Amino acid sequence: MAKILIVDDDEDFVTAVALVLKKNNFEVSTAHSLEEGMEKFETSHPDLVLLDVIMEQPDDGFVMAQTLKKRSSSVPILMLTNIGQVTGMDFGKDEELAPVDDFIQKPIMPSKLLEKINLLLKK
Amino acid sequence: MPIIDRQKINQEIEKLKFKFGADRSALLPMLQDLQEKYGYLPDIILQETAHALGIHPVEVEGVASFYSFFRTKERQGKYVIRLCQTISCDLAGKTNTARQLENELGIKFGDTTRDHLFTLAYTNCLGMCDQGPALLINDRLFSRVTPDKVSQIIADCRRDFLKSEFPEVVPSDIKKTGPILDNKIEAVEPLKKALSISRSEIIGVIRDSGLKGRGGAGFPTAIKWQLAGAAKGDKKYVVCNADEGEPGTFKDRMLLYEKTGLLLDGMTIGAYAIGASKGFIYLRSEYLYMRKYLEKALDKRRNQNLLGNNILQKEGFNFDIEIRMGVGAYVCGEETALIESLEGYRGEPRNRPPFPVDTGFQGNPTIVNNIETFITAALIVGKDSDWFKKLGTEKSRGTKILSVSGDCERPGIYELPFGITITKLLKEVGGENAKAVQIGGASGQCIARKDFEHTIAYEDIGTGGSVIIFGPDRDMLQVAENFLEFFVEESCGQCTPCRLGNPKLLEGIKLLKQGKCSVAYLNELKKLGETIQLASKCGLGQSSPNAFISIIENFGSEILGRIPQEEF
Repeated sequence: MAKILIVDDDEDFVTAVALVLKKNNFEVSTAHSLEEGMEKFETSHPDLVLLDVIMEQPDDGFVMAQTLKKRSSSVPILMLTNIGQVTGMDFGKDEELAPVDDFIQKPIMPSKLLEKINLLLKK
Repeated sequence: MPIIDRQKINQEIEKLKFKFGADRSALLPMLQDLQEKYGYLPDIILQETAHALGIHPVEVEGVASFYSFFRTKERQGKYVIRLCQTISCDLAGKTNTARQLENELGIKFGDTTRDHLFTLAYTNCLGMCDQGPALLINDRLFSRVTPDKVSQIIADCRRDFLKSEFPEVVPSDIKKTGPILDNKIEAVEPLKKALSISRSEIIGVIRDSGLKGRGGAGFPTAIKWQLAGAAKGDKKYVVCNADEGEPGTFKDRMLLYEKTGLLLDGMTIGAYAIGASKGFIYLRSEYLYMRKYLEKALDKRRNQNLLGNNILQKEGFNFDIEIRMGVGAYVCGEETALIESLEGYRGEPRNRPPFPVDTGFQGNPTIVNNIETFITAALIVGKDSDWFKKLGTEKSRGTKILSVSGDCERPGIYELPFGITITKLLKEVGGENAKAVQIGGASGQCIARKDFEHTIAYEDIGTGGSVIIFGPDRDMLQVAENFLEFFVEESCGQCTPCRLGNPKLLEGIKLLKQGKCSVAYLNELKKLGETIQLASKCGLGQSSPNAFISIIENFGSEILGRIPQEEF
């Protein structure tokens, strides 16, 4: 059973996504901030991280992704963005500043999320 | 009126298209050059420029009429004398200088002499607040222009400034230095260091330092750079906001001149960090005299491979900087208005989101930072973040460069750590007798004596650098009137609360001065001010009634004294 860490400050979103993932036989751990996310990463040893960009600070997601990269983590990161919803920002892959494997836009279709997760886990 | 040859104009416009490009962003520099040549922008020039750039003449007319330094109705004189009318120059006696200028030239403000030699105009803040009254003649700045100096200056103009005793560049008056102004680090060293580490490490050092934007809003610099760096976009831009227009602020003028190398280092480091290849310095028109100096500095850097392709042998790092001139609009200090202006539009703030870090210049990711922010960022990258973190408060790290003017013994530029109380600041500058201090310029707050233990810090009283001191004899209603006149003139007019609300507040002040404003009406005005704060579109509009409200709240006894007795 693959383990997924969800890091997002939106508690309702985390609950809903966790429900979908558990129903599809994933083991889920959750965190609501950058600090908690790093702690849970160390303790839960996830196979994939589902990471939000904006938490307490607007770039917390990027900071966490960069920190994981510096630690030579090979765990894939699927980054959650909310294009046009709050910030209107559209991010792209950047090996240094946005070292993530893929992006997914909120609001998320469960089928699309599962598709992306399975694809990244296969890699 | 001289006849303007259409064919000749078109030939000139073609040359300008070659110089500035043929897209909309070339509009402002083209109009600036044409005005310089013809003395004003008559319809024929506006129409032909519109035709050449493929835009509607009404659009061009809209742009030309927006900016105060463009003149569309009448040919201006060979010498355009612009006298600063903002608060610090007002306190320094600008009214007497204005009368002397009118007497000397025999014209009123707003008029041009019959021989088309002189035009008299008022302008807002020239960045000489500690050396007022100040005036600008074309691109030449004059400080401490007391009435007795007027005839000499006029005589100098008539002699085309040959053998003028006035300096070409007025020196800044630096009163107290700190780690930024005192630093001995050579420009270029920070850039060399930046290019030896990764982009994420550069942003990491800045994040660790806690550097926040020095323009006043205090947005964390590292977050801005990170978001722009991660934003999707083939083209990214770095913009230096050198549109220091907040009344009472003059430290950027000094930094532009004294710390040019570090500023250009900071911009280049920012470009490397976010992946930009083009930068702009948006220089306010009042600082036109500095353009040649900055162009020379840019050329020197190009020759040293500090700008251009593969900078310092860093393969693939290409970056260059262009200077774009403002045209006299305070609102262009707001970053989205500045971008609009850079693109050749009226300087009207945009809605957010989207933010410039994602959708900035021509729809591309753009960072807009203040001069002081770029310099400080360069120093942090060049040394480390420890020296910076040791100074200031937890939420406002480092030092702030303050422009101090008004009623004190030692006006000038001071570098002081964040967290200093107003009492200590006043002691430092010799203004202990002050009855009020305006922190943050016209859009800031007027602090009364009872609040002098408050600190200058983002979490307490934030400022972009302006500190104006009012002595015990100053009429605070006069102060409020000056600030509101400023906003009435400088409102971009885009949103109703700011455009119509501020003239209403100003009208109220005039009624108060005549003793014709009731307590009930004064309360209504205060509520109107609060509505402007809530409902205006941009930060400048939202802060426009701040001074009015704080003066009404803090100096009610002075204000109420003018209300007719029967109202009580």
